[in-house]
Amino acid sequence: MRWVLMALRNLTRNRRRTLISLLVVATGAVALLLTSGFVVFNFRGLETALVHGGLGHLEVAAKSSAGPGQMDRPVTDALTDWRALRSRLEALPDVSAVGANVHLMGMASTPAGKSASFVGVGVEPDREGAMGFNTRLRAGEPLPQALPAEGDDVAILAQGLAATLGAKTGDVVTLLALTPDGSLNALDVRVAGIFTSGVQDLDTRFVKLHLASAQRLLQTESVSDLLVMLRDEVPLERGQGAVEHLVAGHAPPLAVVDWRARAPFYDQVRNLYRGIFWFLGTVILVLVVLSASNTLLMAVLERTRELGTLRAIGTSRPQLAAIVLLEALWLGVLGGALGCLLGWLATLGINAMHLQMPPPPGAVDPIDVELALVPAAFAATVALMLVVLTVAATIPIARATRLRVAEALTHV
Amino acid sequence: MTPGDAPLFAARGVVKHYRLGKVPVPALRGVDVEVGRGEALALAGPSGSGKTTLLNLFGGLDVPDAGTVLLDGRDLGGMGEGERTLLRRHQLGFVFQTFNLVPVLSARENVEYPLWIAGTPARERRERAEAALAAVGLTARGEHRPDQLSGGERQRVAIARALVHRPLAILADEPTGNLDSINGQLVLDLLLRCNAETGATVVIATHDPAVLARLPRRVRLRDGAVISDERGLAS
Repeated sequence: MRWVLMALRNLTRNRRRTLISLLVVATGAVALLLTSGFVVFNFRGLETALVHGGLGHLEVAAKSSAGPGQMDRPVTDALTDWRALRSRLEALPDVSAVGANVHLMGMASTPAGKSASFVGVGVEPDREGAMGFNTRLRAGEPLPQALPAEGDDVAILAQGLAATLGAKTGDVVTLLALTPDGSLNALDVRVAGIFTSGVQDLDTRFVKLHLASAQRLLQTESVSDLLVMLRDEVPLERGQGAVEHLVAGHAPPLAVVDWRARAPFYDQVRNLYRGIFWFLGTVILVLVVLSASNTLLMAVLERTRELGTLRAIGTSRPQLAAIVLLEALWLGVLGGALGCLLGWLATLGINAMHLQMPPPPGAVDPIDVELALVPAAFAATVALMLVVLTVAATIPIARATRLRVAEALTHV
Repeated sequence: MTPGDAPLFAARGVVKHYRLGKVPVPALRGVDVEVGRGEALALAGPSGSGKTTLLNLFGGLDVPDAGTVLLDGRDLGGMGEGERTLLRRHQLGFVFQTFNLVPVLSARENVEYPLWIAGTPARERRERAEAALAAVGLTARGEHRPDQLSGGERQRVAIARALVHRPLAILADEPTGNLDSINGQLVLDLLLRCNAETGATVVIATHDPAVLARLPRRVRLRDGAVISDERGLAS
């Protein structure tokens, strides 16, 4: 304890230099916290956008169409019993909601003669609501929850497709698609609303319609897949295990795919952000190491005679190293704590400003700049600063312990 | 010579050079000196005579380029740095011209320091530090930091620090050099009293005539060589 206090007192000897060092460490900590807060917020935001934007946590689909790398989900005979399967899935304690989807593609055309290819999905609007899916409407209304009567089918068009077709709410669009047996079928749908998927490319050709309408167009009773939303507190791995257990033995065999496997770009984005974070973090830490090392070295050089005296009266090299190291660790603890305080205040301040960034490439909407407050990141930052200051103390410690005692005692 | 008569310090044919840039500068040129247990003596000589160098060699702060320096029969030059550190910690006390107290420690903590690093239990440490401070007349100044003490008081704290662990010898390098005559005499009184009461050998490097006059033995050096070894109080 006496060494710890002695090291703390040594820091008070040159207060201006200590203050500057603390600010350097604190600034490094703030930079790390803000960067990590931004990265974490983006990870969370992207995850939420994907899971609640239509992927759900898990997908149950025919194994034949849901292997690695297979992204298309044609309507298959595997899910003819989807209603019973859905009920069993919903009965699982880890599951909050389940919805069926029919995936389709074809040609959309208007009475005015404009046409465009489309990809679409038939959904159960009431269950999408239960799963917390959100449709970003730009005009009109969402899909009605009630089962559409034959001849009263509706759809909502992504804004790019609506622009291509020149369609607006209330207009009728004809959807043309191939049925599973290879014949061509058409369905007139009324445009209930215009929405955006958030992704520019997808907006040029995306259509959503009621599950029953999609089945009517494809002339099938089957669905492409079932989307499963887990309860908030349930870890993905546990939920996936429960669902896999339930569908095990189903004939024909089914696959349970988690949302990350269906959104490979999520990991690409994560890796990109991680790379940026590590690059910035490394630059920041190197600067902190250099600055703190310089400060500690100056403190050692200024105290050459004192350190020589300590050696003369019997202080061992490890004890002397401990004195210098403890000073460095104090800088790390105090600077890290100050950085956490400033980082917390800066995070609150930035979030209160409601700043926005331009849409990233391929996206439609600007991004809200919001920083996540992650307690673990604060603790990790202080721990990291201790490591950084330990590294920074290496050269000063070497310098202090290699002093030639007789020479140090004559140092002016 | 029986073991009881063996010298505490013995320098035999000691040669030491320092480097000034690339030029070796001789500091000691074949010095032979023995210091008995319980002796009080001065290493006298002008600046550059080699007295501080010899004192440093006696204290294991440096090693000779040639010759041997023995402490209690053990060759300091043959020891490792760690062994010499332990020897300084347990068997030697040092007093410097510029006091060399740790500025962030109080007088009492400075005196306790040699006991800290030796791992002495807290209670014993405190009792011995208090006794050492009392011995130098600074009981009331124990909680003061060095910058709150006068030069004489600082040197007395340094003496308390040097004797608190009951060393075999106290090595003092110009201990009165930064003090006025009254405080110089006071400091010398303390060192000689320590010598008389504890039996610790006291070796003082000095060129102060007032100090030399009070020491029973004076080894005079000039240009790195012993030129005289006078015993008995100077007349």
